[in-house]
Amino acid sequence: MPKKRDDLIPRGMLLIADNISSQDNIFGASPGAKAEWAKELSLPRRNKTIFFAGCGYQYLRHARTMLDALSKLEKHGLDAERTTGIAKAFKRVGIDLTAMYSKLPLGGDDHYIEVLHSAVKVLTGLGVDFGYLHEEEPCCGAPLYFFGLEEEFARHCQVTYDKFKSLGVKQIIGLVPSCTNALHNLFPNYVSGFDIEVKHFCQVVWERIKEGNISLEMPQKVEVTYHDPCQLTRYLGVIDEPRQVLNSIKGLELKEPEWTNREWATCCGGGGGFEMVFPELSHILAVNRARELMETGASTIVTHCPACVMQLEEGLSDLGRNHTEVLDLAQVVDRALRR
Amino acid sequence: MSQFKAYKTQLMEAAHNDRISTALSRAIKSYRANTNNALRKFPHTIELAEEVRKIKEDSIGRMRELAEQACESIEGNKGHAYIADTAEEALKIIGDLVGKDKLIVKGKSMTGEEIDLREHLEESGNEVYETDLGEFIIQHLKSKPMHILSPAIHVPKEDVATLLTNITGKKVAPDIAEEVAIVRNLLREKYFQADIGLSGANVVSADTGTLFLISNEGNIRLCTGVPPVHIALVGLEKLVPTLHDAWKVAEVTWRYANYNIPSYVSLVSGPSKTGDIEKVTTYGAHGPKELHVVFLDSGRTKLAKHPLLRQALYCLRCGGCLYECPVFAVTAGYFGDKYFAGIGAVWTAQITGNLEKAAPIIYTCLTCGRCKVRCPMKIDVPQMCLELRRMIAQNQT
Repeated sequence: MPKKRDDLIPRGMLLIADNISSQDNIFGASPGAKAEWAKELSLPRRNKTIFFAGCGYQYLRHARTMLDALSKLEKHGLDAERTTGIAKAFKRVGIDLTAMYSKLPLGGDDHYIEVLHSAVKVLTGLGVDFGYLHEEEPCCGAPLYFFGLEEEFARHCQVTYDKFKSLGVKQIIGLVPSCTNALHNLFPNYVSGFDIEVKHFCQVVWERIKEGNISLEMPQKVEVTYHDPCQLTRYLGVIDEPRQVLNSIKGLELKEPEWTNREWATCCGGGGGFEMVFPELSHILAVNRARELMETGASTIVTHCPACVMQLEEGLSDLGRNHTEVLDLAQVVDRALRR
Repeated sequence: MSQFKAYKTQLMEAAHNDRISTALSRAIKSYRANTNNALRKFPHTIELAEEVRKIKEDSIGRMRELAEQACESIEGNKGHAYIADTAEEALKIIGDLVGKDKLIVKGKSMTGEEIDLREHLEESGNEVYETDLGEFIIQHLKSKPMHILSPAIHVPKEDVATLLTNITGKKVAPDIAEEVAIVRNLLREKYFQADIGLSGANVVSADTGTLFLISNEGNIRLCTGVPPVHIALVGLEKLVPTLHDAWKVAEVTWRYANYNIPSYVSLVSGPSKTGDIEKVTTYGAHGPKELHVVFLDSGRTKLAKHPLLRQALYCLRCGGCLYECPVFAVTAGYFGDKYFAGIGAVWTAQITGNLEKAAPIIYTCLTCGRCKVRCPMKIDVPQMCLELRRMIAQNQT
């Protein structure tokens, strides 16, 4: 007898799928919270080129809360049990996600918001003409695809594409690798006549730096190592650009990890929704990757993905390396552009 | 959902076992260094791998045809050959050939593992000795293999010493050279007392009916050369059209299994024979008098029809992907069933189990894609795992 699919799909994945369909973001946070970071930036709401911020950084504070909740379920052994829905399971261990979300600090207190501010400053500083859809920005829906929910993803792609078209979007600059991969590599398979040009932030930044002969310099000398996000390096092939950007910055020395760099980089443990299903194992992998990166002797880890940032910060904290900074590439370029 | 829970419990126990991650991190380091050196020394391997991928794409599309050709070739060489549709059929054929109360020496075979061949023969009253050192350790620990090429990769030398102390009744020190010597002595006489030698094959050429057996320990040569009967169990996916093709497959296999060249490659095409007295061909000169080759389908032909999942059959079993998997690095074969990690999920879903059984393994894949970078056949494991997830979601169980 074939089982009902909900019995086989891990509940952490189903939770995210529900969040996408009900709130159009992966964490089930209020859609209004999405654009709080941009409140004072007065970015144009309409433009043929838009900056696609993605759920990751916009909701990273929610991500931590949700992952902590899932870890708590795992510790109580309720993560794999299927007799009740996930809301009931949360209730049993005294978790009320909505209430917890409502108490989260907004805007300025969230240090991930800085990444978005940096990205905007970098694009502006390099003369890129772009808009931002604010709370109208849709979720890319990528997790649906990675959880095997293809029918839902196909529908999501069409609705999302239609929304982009109705808002006059012709080009997208994505910041999160998995959103960018979904929009660039997956959408064309599910939307006939998909005609939106999709680039990753790093590609746009490198083009501008190269063409504009822009000089970049760090305020202070720094040795950094670079962690390649899986979807950026192995799915989108954006491998050279981050290195070209980093190597063009004066006062910055790039120290690659032995062997595990470029397409050989080790996953931070946050891949494909893994941390929703195996929070504890995901943490072990984060520690392992942080250790590999620390062996370079660099004082700062640069990466280019919100999931990687969060994972590596956790890994470093476990290794007692709280003083080691994890930065998104956008922040590094922002600091180097200021001078 | 208790199946998922049980799997996860075991997986997490493994992940918290420092011995596994220590053993694996050493193995990964040496695998990468050795493979790098081997590929640098023999740079043509990378192009050869592309050629082999084409050979496999063609062969996997016509496995039954190649199996029939191989059977004809082997029969022509005075061996015996069989095609088993199912695991049960293969066990019956081999079980009937073996009978009971026999002493059997066995080389490592993943296909044997797949159908629980050793357990089956033991249950029908035979004594079976695993002769591969790693497999010998696993057999006596009553454990399961944790890597396709290094089954005891998770067992440190101290544990081996304890095991050998128990077997021999004499105190054995945790000294690897001593441990190897003890197992050598334990097994030495078994080869010559054995009624039957069992093996798998790394690749088989259909035109000549030749089995290629790659080994370093030398146990395969003894298993397939000393006893009077040699029985080989081979998955249909190991078949390629010609002897030349087989040679290419073998070379790519050992190179990505981190060897410049293995110590031994045995080519077996028929029973031992001589014509030295009056040119009269007589069988069983020094080697086995009988050769039996059992080709196993067990879902492979069906799997070959799936446009995406058929890639799983291109696998050469070099084991390279396992060394690149971040989850495998901390859990070893607990991430998997008979076959391991992401590619193992496909084998569990399609060959040795079903989608339901494979589900927990399918969701353990990070889809990070580093295995694909390593794979000489460029098998897209993440894409296959996503396809399996899609099948689960759409109730195609």
